[in-house]
Amino acid sequence: MHSIFARINNTSALLSSCMMALLAAIALSTLVFTARPEGNVSVASVQVYSGNTRRYATKRQDLAFVDFNITADFAPLFNWNTKQIFLYLQAEYNTTTGIKNEAVIWDRIIRRKEEANVNVIGKNKYNLRDLSTNFKNAPPASYSLKYNIMPYVGALTYGEAARTSEPVAFPPRKTRV
Amino acid sequence: MFTEELKAFRRLGFRHVLLQVLNFASVIASGLMIWKGLGIVTNSESPIVVVLSGSMEPAFYRGDLLFLTNPSSEQYKTGDITVYKIPGAEIPIVHRVMETHDVPKSIDIRKYTKSKSKSKPQPGEDSKQDNQLLLTKGDNNYVDDIELYQGLEWLEKKHIVGKVRGFLPYVGYVTIAMNDCPQLKYALLGGLGLLALIQRE
Repeated sequence: MHSIFARINNTSALLSSCMMALLAAIALSTLVFTARPEGNVSVASVQVYSGNTRRYATKRQDLAFVDFNITADFAPLFNWNTKQIFLYLQAEYNTTTGIKNEAVIWDRIIRRKEEANVNVIGKNKYNLRDLSTNFKNAPPASYSLKYNIMPYVGALTYGEAARTSEPVAFPPRKTRV
Repeated sequence: MFTEELKAFRRLGFRHVLLQVLNFASVIASGLMIWKGLGIVTNSESPIVVVLSGSMEPAFYRGDLLFLTNPSSEQYKTGDITVYKIPGAEIPIVHRVMETHDVPKSIDIRKYTKSKSKSKPQPGEDSKQDNQLLLTKGDNNYVDDIELYQGLEWLEKKHIVGKVRGFLPYVGYVTIAMNDCPQLKYALLGGLGLLALIQRE
């Protein structure tokens, strides 16, 4: 019990047990918070044009361009264990052929409580396209704003903040911009 | 330096050495059992991974440890952070799912994946869930992962190792350091082995 080796052994064992207990306590403490943020999503317009995607420069397919308004407040989700919140707006629809689709068209990372009040009038960042390369079989789509909380230590949680009140249809393809 | 230790060994006899070796082997075997048991419980071939690239910053940095599960009865959803391996590339990639398309069994998925294989899917391979086609993107990248797919149009469930459930920062840096500098790995393993053999309690 008095050699240096034994002392180092005991100290490091105690250090690692305390560290693990502390991390477990931090991770479990965030289960106490059950705040649900509220928000509003509305789609101003949807337009469908024919375009190329990056991979095959000569393959034409229909792309949908969506203009939307989002207002939401995520401040209640921030606590000592929140590292960042990842927001994403996704379009959801089931085609008449039976395929269920969900595609993220816009996202944002919030790292501090001061930025947590979101008020965005924007358009989609990412291409919205269908597997069958056109939107003829696509019924009106719902758009929902979801979030993912990433902690400093512990489990990741997901949730939905807002959704369009009624589905928004895809118009027929326009040939001229 | 070790003459005293060697003398003590000779005094205790051959059996003692065998006992030490057995102890060593049982420690290794129980470690392996825990790892494989964890793999079975989470249904993932590698339930704990270390983040290797910076493409998910600021959420995950190089050296963070991730805990994965791979539920076979659940579909992947957009926003899930998944670890996948492209056949032909050895490195698992940690990125977020951007698009999911659930294709029911009645439709042949090969129409969308442009797969050249003529073989039908194996009977035991699939669960009651529909097939899925996924597209992923790293948070810190501007564009999606199409270039990383090595010719594939979409990812399927079979490429995915698991979905990230929990996270521990910095702990995995030891693995990265050992990979970048192999002398460190040999030094550590050699030191541990020597310590296990000369310990007498």
